[in-house]
Amino acid sequence: MLCDICKKREATIHIQEIVNNSKKAMHLCSECALKKSQNDPSFDFGGFNLAEMLYNISESQGGIPGLTMPQKTAESPDKETSTLKCPSCNWTLKALRQTGRVGCPECYNVFREVIDNALENMHRGKLHVGKKPGTKGPDTTSAKMLELMNLQKELDEVIQREEYEKAAELRDKIRSLKNKITPKKNIKKNAAK
Amino acid sequence: MPQNKIDELLKHDVSWLLDSGHDGDIAISSRIRLARNIQGLPFPIAASPAELEQVQAAAEMALKKSEVIGKKYIDFHMADYTEVERQILLERRLISNEFVKKDQHTSLFVKQDESCAVMINEEDHLRIQTLCPGLQLMKVWEQINKLDSELEESLPYAYDSKLGYLTSCPTNVGTGMRASVMLHLPGLVLSGKINAAIQGVNKLGLAVRGIFGEGTDNRGNLFQISNQSTLGESEPQIIERLNTVITQIISHEKSCRNTLLADKKYFLLDHVGRSYGILRHAYTLSSEEALNSLSDLRIGVDMDMFNSVDLHTVNKLFLTINPAHLQKFAQKELSSQERDIFRAAYVRKQLKDADHKN
Repeated sequence: MLCDICKKREATIHIQEIVNNSKKAMHLCSECALKKSQNDPSFDFGGFNLAEMLYNISESQGGIPGLTMPQKTAESPDKETSTLKCPSCNWTLKALRQTGRVGCPECYNVFREVIDNALENMHRGKLHVGKKPGTKGPDTTSAKMLELMNLQKELDEVIQREEYEKAAELRDKIRSLKNKITPKKNIKKNAAK
Repeated sequence: MPQNKIDELLKHDVSWLLDSGHDGDIAISSRIRLARNIQGLPFPIAASPAELEQVQAAAEMALKKSEVIGKKYIDFHMADYTEVERQILLERRLISNEFVKKDQHTSLFVKQDESCAVMINEEDHLRIQTLCPGLQLMKVWEQINKLDSELEESLPYAYDSKLGYLTSCPTNVGTGMRASVMLHLPGLVLSGKINAAIQGVNKLGLAVRGIFGEGTDNRGNLFQISNQSTLGESEPQIIERLNTVITQIISHEKSCRNTLLADKKYFLLDHVGRSYGILRHAYTLSSEEALNSLSDLRIGVDMDMFNSVDLHTVNKLFLTINPAHLQKFAQKELSSQERDIFRAAYVRKQLKDADHKN
């Protein structure tokens, strides 16, 4: 049975909702179910966090939404990419699909397209903006970060005490400190305005 | 002799169990783990035994030079230890579940106070971890960042200018960083607000797990909140986001506790008192019951109910009631039933001793 949403992938999650004698059924594949629970606040199972469940289950089985495929499909991969193999470690596309892992650093070049597609589902961005080798870490000094965290904590407390004027002051301080820490982003924001 | 190394480890105080000060009963510990691999060698999943040995040798050499690790450390070659012994390391959060079963060409480097631990040849060549008591993510980051930079001087890391640090699993690529905080949230649980809180946290892109496994297991009212994404944000950005959310959760937890105290004070006191009674006098104690009772004890400590029990006692018990630890103390393998009996006896003694000291 195919997924109700994408109509492409096999539905592996079958949800039945019974409310006052009316029955509703939904059949989803793991990717769409994950997306739906992340984007739709009303999609909930009385406390059960589906995204969490899926992510964990798929992780423990070595599965990653968008990257790995269930056993059946993995055995008959796309014709064009079926010969894809890493020259460095002999890892194949099939192995990647089955385990969700790559064999060596070179694999990231060999399977770049496949991995690139999956990165969107996994992460908040596709480009690395953190620590680079040979540096002691990002330029942001931890002292500034510490100050930022203290200000945020203070803001939280002040709001609870309903001291809104003080809160506004703190909010501005936080804003300007954030701008100092990541100046590039700030420029882009202003440009958009 | 391998045996002595585990004994050695158990002798010293665990740094992240020590009093964590402010909010220490809610935020129990902060942890950051970095995944790193050596350029030019396959990841453990595709490496030959010879290549794995190469990684082990290079990593060990680099670790021995580290100032952060220092001179007081213990190194374990996992193949030299039984599964029960490896379970002890798992219970102390020094290794992962996967590592317990992987005994070929795997080693563990642990700083004596257990604030720092490095797994070699788990899913990645190096899995570096640093722990601190309470909510101190920035402090943990400073420590681990320093260690990481030190190791990098002897080990050329696999790195891509676009994708960042390359890891065996694309879910770790980029910063390779998983930051998490262990939280004790009985207020939210007892007020029926924990699920809403978890959903709220999930919507912000953070993962919440019970600490004893996956999903919604909330034994001991303990939860771990961590980042899911490792790419597209810098390390301080990830930490800031995590810290903001956790600060809010802590504040939410406090207000739930205050409400409970105001409306149901005797219900709470009774709940805690009964759990203390069980721990003090039971003759069989399952792991689950012990963990739940310890959670209540923690609340009691927060409410200043006890003269003799403090956070340190609770934290220590939390660690030592685990199955592998108990078998180590008993110095033999115990069946599940025997463990329950031994656990009860152990807890009775610990609490009795704490009482006598006061």
